Order: sequence, then C-alpha cells, then structure tokens
Amino acid sequence: MRRILGIVLALGLIVAACGGDDDLSVRDAWARDSPGTAEAGAAYMVIEAGGEDDRLLSVSVPADVAAMAQVHEVVMNEGAMSMQAVENGLAIPSGETVTLEPGSYHVMMMNLAQPLEVGDEFTMTLTFEQAGTVDVDVEVREE
Amino acid sequence: MRALGILLVAVTLVVSACGSDEDVGLAGQIRTPAPNVSDVSLPEVTGGDIRDFALTAREDSLLLLYFGYTGCPDICPTTLADLRSAVRTLDGEQADRVDVAFATIDPNRDTNEVATAYIHAFFPEKGIAIRTDDPDELQTAADALGVIYSVEEQEDGTIFVEHSAWVYVIDDTGTLLVSWPFGIEPDAIASDIRLLLKETPA
Repeated sequence: MRRILGIVLALGLIVAACGGDDDLSVRDAWARDSPGTAEAGAAYMVIEAGGEDDRLLSVSVPADVAAMAQVHEVVMNEGAMSMQAVENGLAIPSGETVTLEPGSYHVMMMNLAQPLEVGDEFTMTLTFEQAGTVDVDVEVREE
Repeated sequence: MRALGILLVAVTLVVSACGSDEDVGLAGQIRTPAPNVSDVSLPEVTGGDIRDFALTAREDSLLLLYFGYTGCPDICPTTLADLRSAVRTLDGEQADRVDVAFATIDPNRDTNEVATAYIHAFFPEKGIAIRTDDPDELQTAADALGVIYSVEEQEDGTIFVEHSAWVYVIDDTGTLLVSWPFGIEPDAIASDIRLLLKETPA
C-alpha cells in the first residue's frame, strides 16, 4: 500500500512537471544595435506558447532605453513594405511557437534614449492576456 | 487534355526559367532590358560636402544602392547588415571594388549628418549618403530604378512610411545588373558580387 502510494505520488509529480512545461516562455531575445543616430530600434524573440491560447498585449522598456515600444508587423502592399502596430495584440495560439524576426513581427522601440550598442543588455516587459507580465533580458547584437 | 497542355507549357516555362537562372548563376533578379541610370544623379552629402553623385559605379566597381530611411527599425538595418555581412566575406581587392550608397526617402527627418552617420554605422568611412531636398529629383531617380516610396504624416502626427526594399547593383556604365529583394541571404549576395566582379575585370 505504501509502495502504491509512492507510485501515485511520483505520477502526481510527473503530471505537475508536465503542467510546468505548459507555461508560456520567451527565449532568444535580442535587439539590433542602432545605426548612428537612428531614433528607432527593433527587438526580436521567440515566444513558446503555453497550454492555452494567449495574446501579447503590450511591451515596454525602461525609459533609459526608449520612450515607447510596440509590437509591429511588416505589411507588403503592391511591392512596398510598411510597418504597422499589431491591433488587439499578437495571437500566441496554444502549443505554437511565434517568432519575432527581421522582416516580420518585431518590437519597435521609438525615441531611443541613447544608441543601442553591441553588448548592451536591458529588460523588456511583455504583458500577455493570460500569462501576465513576463520580463525578458534583451541582448544587443550586430547580426 | 487542353488543360494538361497548358500545364505542361507552364511547367516547361518554369523549368526553363530555372535553367536560365542557373546558367547565369545570379541569385538576384535580372531585368530585361536592363535599365541604365547613368544620366541620373542625386546629391551626395557624406561628410558635409554636397556634390553631384551619378548613379554609376566607380570604374571596374559595383555600386550597391538602397533607398530607405533612418527611422526604419527593421527592414532597412536588416538589409544593410546583410550587405555588411556579405562584403565582409569578400577578399580585400573585391571589397575595395564595392561601394554602398544609402539614399534617404525621408529627407525631412534624415538630415545630411543623420544619413551619413547611418550608412557609416554599417560601412565606416566608405558608405555613401545621398539626400535631396527636391522631391522631384528624388522621384525621378526612384522612377528610373522602379523604387516605390511614400512618406505621409498621419492625423495623429506620426509619419507613415511605405517603401520597396530592393538593393540595386549598378556597374560602371550605369547599367542595373541585378536587384536583390529583402531577405536574400548574405551568402547569396556575396556570391552575386563575386560573379559580377569577375564580369567586370579590374
């Protein structure tokens, strides 16, 4: 009986561990170094969805990085590209990986407080509908 | 049967298109006939002095020309960083024969200094900044290459910019040899540059 209880307990722990894997996570966050005196910058990352549908509602960076940050998408219109803010948040469907990358979704940072230089690091706060706020460390790279 | 015939013709066309690409070996897009822009010029503002810059490469060289704006956080720096990655893989002699020019489509915000600092962030000293206050002059140059752009202030005061994002490769006669779309790999860019430099012997 005691042994069975042990097994049940172990199974319970495994199930709980699986539950932990079902949390939304963010990895590989980076920002390109900003060229010259450019006032805008972009950051990219990989968002692994959790077990439920979620939305990235907003992003923010410290004031000593940039005055404002928004999730943007690149839109192609008759051969011309433009950017626009993602309306109503970026969908992060359950079980999927959403990649923010050059030429696609990205976090646009406006009115940079100072140039982003290779090796700099800063914290970006992501606010999700379900997962709440998630802080990610963003590394500035050349790429 | 007729549909099958059309399909076969279509497949043949696709295959032959691929075949011809392979013969040339270039990854970028080739236009036929190739436009010549040797009679088009814009002001070069690099370093403060303003001088007339014909959209033509130096002798035995290639000019890589891009139209963008410095407030562009994603497409423009990605493109210029890809060019930088490609040029870094060239040997010194090859790299010396490649110039990169950035023409701003947003001269109201991109001053001469801002445009220069921008291209020099990617190509120190060597990068060429091009800027004109004359909208007609910019439009004429853009039309010659097929560049599409618009910069419009919105009701909320923000500025909405739309632009095509090709890199134009021009030789020393002002002929457009090839155009690279956004997202082309740096390896493909470098390979095209090597091939084109071979065809333009120093």
